[in-house]
Amino acid sequence: MNGNHYNLNLKDILKKVFFVDLIQGLFITFNYTFSKTITLRYPDEEKWIPYRRFRGLHTLNRNKEGKELCVGCELCQKSCPTQCITVVPMQDKTGKGIADRIAYRWEINLLRCMFCGLCEDACPTEALKLGREYELANTSMQRSLWTKEELLAAQEIPVEFDGGVIVRARLERDDKGLKVIPDMSVQKRWW
Amino acid sequence: MFELFISNPLVLMMIEVLVICIKVVVVTLVVFSLPLPLTYIERKVAGHIQVRLGPYRVGPHGILQPLADMIKLIFKEDIIPYKADPWLFKIAPIIAMVPAFAVFATIPFGEKVTIPFIDKEVTLYISDMDTGILYVLAIAGLSVYGIILGGWASNSKYALLGGLRSSAQMISYELALSFACIGVVMVVNSLSLVDIVRAQSGWHWNILYQPLGFVIFAIAGLAEINRIPFDLPEDEGTLGAGYHAEYSSMRFAFFMLTEYVAMVSMSVLMVILFFGGWDGPGFLPGIVWFLIKVAFIIYVIIWTRFTYPRYRYDQLMTIGWKILLPLSLLNILITGLVVI
Ligand code: SF4
Ligand code: SF4
Repeated sequence: MNGNHYNLNLKDILKKVFFVDLIQGLFITFNYTFSKTITLRYPDEEKWIPYRRFRGLHTLNRNKEGKELCVGCELCQKSCPTQCITVVPMQDKTGKGIADRIAYRWEINLLRCMFCGLCEDACPTEALKLGREYELANTSMQRSLWTKEELLAAQEIPVEFDGGVIVRARLERDDKGLKVIPDMSVQKRWW
Repeated sequence: MFELFISNPLVLMMIEVLVICIKVVVVTLVVFSLPLPLTYIERKVAGHIQVRLGPYRVGPHGILQPLADMIKLIFKEDIIPYKADPWLFKIAPIIAMVPAFAVFATIPFGEKVTIPFIDKEVTLYISDMDTGILYVLAIAGLSVYGIILGGWASNSKYALLGGLRSSAQMISYELALSFACIGVVMVVNSLSLVDIVRAQSGWHWNILYQPLGFVIFAIAGLAEINRIPFDLPEDEGTLGAGYHAEYSSMRFAFFMLTEYVAMVSMSVLMVILFFGGWDGPGFLPGIVWFLIKVAFIIYVIIWTRFTYPRYRYDQLMTIGWKILLPLSLLNILITGLVVI
């Protein structure tokens, strides 16, 4: 304890001679050998479902009657720092004037989007929301241009679902690329 | 007619030769293919010790990973560095590999077995030399030439340092290793590996009579086969990859093969010298006990690899010369006093 390494007492010497520390070390690693692994078996068997606050692929919402909430105000387009949203507004055919204004075209170029969420904040009708879809890689640039119809479709993970868990999943390959399909019924917490 | 044919001396000799040839081929093939499962096991054990999974994607639970690695190694470009000594560079892996295999010529795997149908007794070893243990130690030491030549021929500082370290380490630890074996030889009174195993039958395992010798043998053996905590010749932290830093493709694979075969032969030797070879309870055949023991020792070697850090070079030399060598001499002295 006084910093003198040569001043070993009998206990220390015996410890050295019988490899006590080394054997203790071996037992520690042995315990770890049979402990639960922390590896996430993505994408073959498991998938991480993010929390609701996650900023993934954009979604366009509808109200309870199924009408699009987006009023084509173009605020998201204006607020986007990378200018990747294109909104072209129009009136619908009901003839009620500006009250029924909707977006004629609503496109987003995900190659430029940095998922900052400013568009979401700007939206006055809460039509736009950054969802939990994060597998956006694909084989063609064209596929990164998402249109209104695709974004209006229901997302794979329902909004009610809390997230923050690992679920069982399976990997599917098709000509569009890879897809990991989650199975929400089997869940586990990480760690 | 068949009886007459089989009792003909010429035919008998032919059969003997054939049996030996078959044994040689079988042992070589088995030893040659052993590194495949061993790399997998090593990576799996490493993974689980580090709370990972290890190889997992090639085949169920990654079982085909070694095959994928092998295919990758075969198809890699075989690079010979500019200004390297091409001839030595090419031949070094072979020089390292051949002795590792030659060791298995005297290793006994079990007692005689009778092969059904032809009613012939076959010994489970290629040859029983009277000086088997000397042969094994001498041949096993030859492997280091391949390592030194490989390091020298690469014309690279790291490789050369790795080779030098390897030779110095081999010299220091070979002594302690051989002296530890002498203790066993004194107890058993024979240099033949088969006799050593026979003398231990019925639970008279040498580890009970030679505990100090066993500890020295285990430590020196680890150093001899360049495993952690003594893997200084290929110390990633300071030497890149050590003596095989410049090797690629199949030549690199040969070095890897040598290391794994050396690990197997050291475990086998340890089982023969200290754990009674194929001695074990009768409900399993001897060869199975032998393999179980060898597998356990290989597991322990892998286990230590992922538990301990590496010794510093001066510490390595201190342990070798100042601790293990005097201890092994002391062991011989004690054994001599007790035996006499
Ligand atoms: S998340 Fe940011 S970058 Fe992406 S579209 Fe919205 S505002 Fe633009
Ligand atoms: S998504 Fe929101 S901000 Fe963008 S145009 Fe529609 S209503 Fe306006």
